[in-house]
Amino acid sequence: MSSVTIRGVKKKYGAMDVLHGIDLQIRDREFVVLVGPSGCGKSTLLRMIAGLETISGGDILIGNRVVNDVPAKARDIAMVFQNYALYPHMSVYENMSFSLRLKRMAKDMIDRKVREAAEILNLSKFLERSPRQLSGGQRQRVAMGRALVRDAQVFLFDEPLSNLDAKLRVVMRTEIKALHQRLQTTSVYVTHDQIEAMTMADRIVVMNAGKIEQIGTPLELYDTPANLFVADFIGSPSMNFLRGKLEQGAVVLPDGSRLAASGQGAAGQAVVFGIRPEHLALATDGTGLAAEVEVVEPTGANIQVYARVAGMPLCAVFTERHDFRPGQTIHLIWPEGKAHLFDDATGHRLQGGAN
Amino acid sequence: MTGKLKRSLIYWAILSPLMVVILFPFGVMFVTAVRPRAELFTYPPTWGFSEFRWENFSEMWVKTNFGGALLNSLYVSVAATAVALLLSIPAAYAMSRYRFAGKGAYRTFLLMTQMMSPIVLVLGLFRLMMSLGLVNDLNSLVLTYAAFNMAFTIWMLQSYFNSIPRDLEEAAWMDGASHLTSLVRIFLPLAVPAMVVTAIFTFINSWNEFVLALTMMRSSEDFTLPVQIYAQVAGRYQVEWHHVMAATVLATVPVAIVFSWLQRYLIRGMALGAVK
Repeated sequence: MSSVTIRGVKKKYGAMDVLHGIDLQIRDREFVVLVGPSGCGKSTLLRMIAGLETISGGDILIGNRVVNDVPAKARDIAMVFQNYALYPHMSVYENMSFSLRLKRMAKDMIDRKVREAAEILNLSKFLERSPRQLSGGQRQRVAMGRALVRDAQVFLFDEPLSNLDAKLRVVMRTEIKALHQRLQTTSVYVTHDQIEAMTMADRIVVMNAGKIEQIGTPLELYDTPANLFVADFIGSPSMNFLRGKLEQGAVVLPDGSRLAASGQGAAGQAVVFGIRPEHLALATDGTGLAAEVEVVEPTGANIQVYARVAGMPLCAVFTERHDFRPGQTIHLIWPEGKAHLFDDATGHRLQGGAN
Repeated sequence: MTGKLKRSLIYWAILSPLMVVILFPFGVMFVTAVRPRAELFTYPPTWGFSEFRWENFSEMWVKTNFGGALLNSLYVSVAATAVALLLSIPAAYAMSRYRFAGKGAYRTFLLMTQMMSPIVLVLGLFRLMMSLGLVNDLNSLVLTYAAFNMAFTIWMLQSYFNSIPRDLEEAAWMDGASHLTSLVRIFLPLAVPAMVVTAIFTFINSWNEFVLALTMMRSSEDFTLPVQIYAQVAGRYQVEWHHVMAATVLATVPVAIVFSWLQRYLIRGMALGAVK
């Protein structure tokens, strides 16, 4: 096990910059998730750590060793690929033991390690099968087993769950997390799914357009997003944004409604007021923010209401079963300290937030 | 069930003209090959024969020096196939996996070589082999057959190689394999079906090639089968048609064997498919 240090790493394809100087310190035993929309450079960064992509600038260190020019096979890193990349002409056993056979490890030692990994992953019954005789979830586990037998310094995961159906994804998510808690191997996990990121990560790195937007624990990102991008990306349904102007300790919306806020901005500054759908509650006394209901979506566990405030869309989630009708006007309130305030021009969080 | 039967009958009826065109020469060839000599020119022609003469084959074997020509053909076809594969696998791999300047031009060049008939190049090739001292040497055929088939084999292999996920090789590298190891233990085993198809194709092309063999081979002991059979017809006062046809029947046998032996690899290869 080992730490991974990424210092000013850049990637260019010809004239196109894909990564613009990434700095990231991944601690020993940590589970770090790189998350972002497709094309943000997260997979490229992972493949650079793996040694499958060249580095255009900066340094990558595994432990204390600079690995910029070390080929993939000598980096002692294991990787789980999105499409599993199982060797189709080999049995599960051969797939899992391939790396050990390359190292010329003793036969009985290989056997013990493979069976141990198979035991952990519930694959003992399938060792003689070929990959095409396995279900998606089993193939996924074989891919993990192949990484597991290695005792590698670092595990890399490249969207490993995206080919599974929704139910299995949730199961495997938990399995991977449990596995990490047991093995404590430094792991870097790439996904575009913010729920995967939130549930699995020790720390999340949110990336966008080749840059890191924010690094933090899941709850840090949820509670204090550094900018509009992170605020929008983390959480489902996403945070509501109401655009307005800052005036005497309040955000004034285009229709004149005032939302109390204590951001450090100049008077008249264009700001974005952010509030998460799950933090909204119904005001019983008719005070609070007026919103016109448009669509009501019950999910069973809760009710999602899509409404409009001063012409801007707003979503609210209630766990109680209210009876909403489209066209109805509801009044919303939120607990103090749950609202966020961002500069509309730069997207940055304004210190002090809103309330 | 009757609907299905009806459909099958209609399909066969539609296919039958094609079948006749393909099978007719084989029928004539076979019937002539097993007839006694006296019945060769019966008029009107019939499909029957009074006696099934296996002796035609043994007589022909001795008289036409079939064995020698068979060995020549086998040597040329096997060697040409081996050379073509050995050279096209790396070429196709590079075209499939690496980016290099002039790749598109190279592909176009390969395609263009396929548009020329070997016969227009015969004179040039003959002079080339003269200067190499290879005229009347079977290796001249090995070289030219390999070269003529490589455009096809590279295209064919490249398109198959493209369908083998890059991830598999990357996974092997992560597992600690060198480029060579991943090529030999992961990549090539998966490429077997494509290699078999190209091998069959090259073998059959080389086996049947006539013009170049006729040009390059001067002495009769170096003749390949097509030339040897042709020599039984051309410039003779009397053509022993039953021997010629017996020779042609025998000459098709190795191709049939190669094809039926290798086609199970084809089917197995299709079943391997991609792992998702």
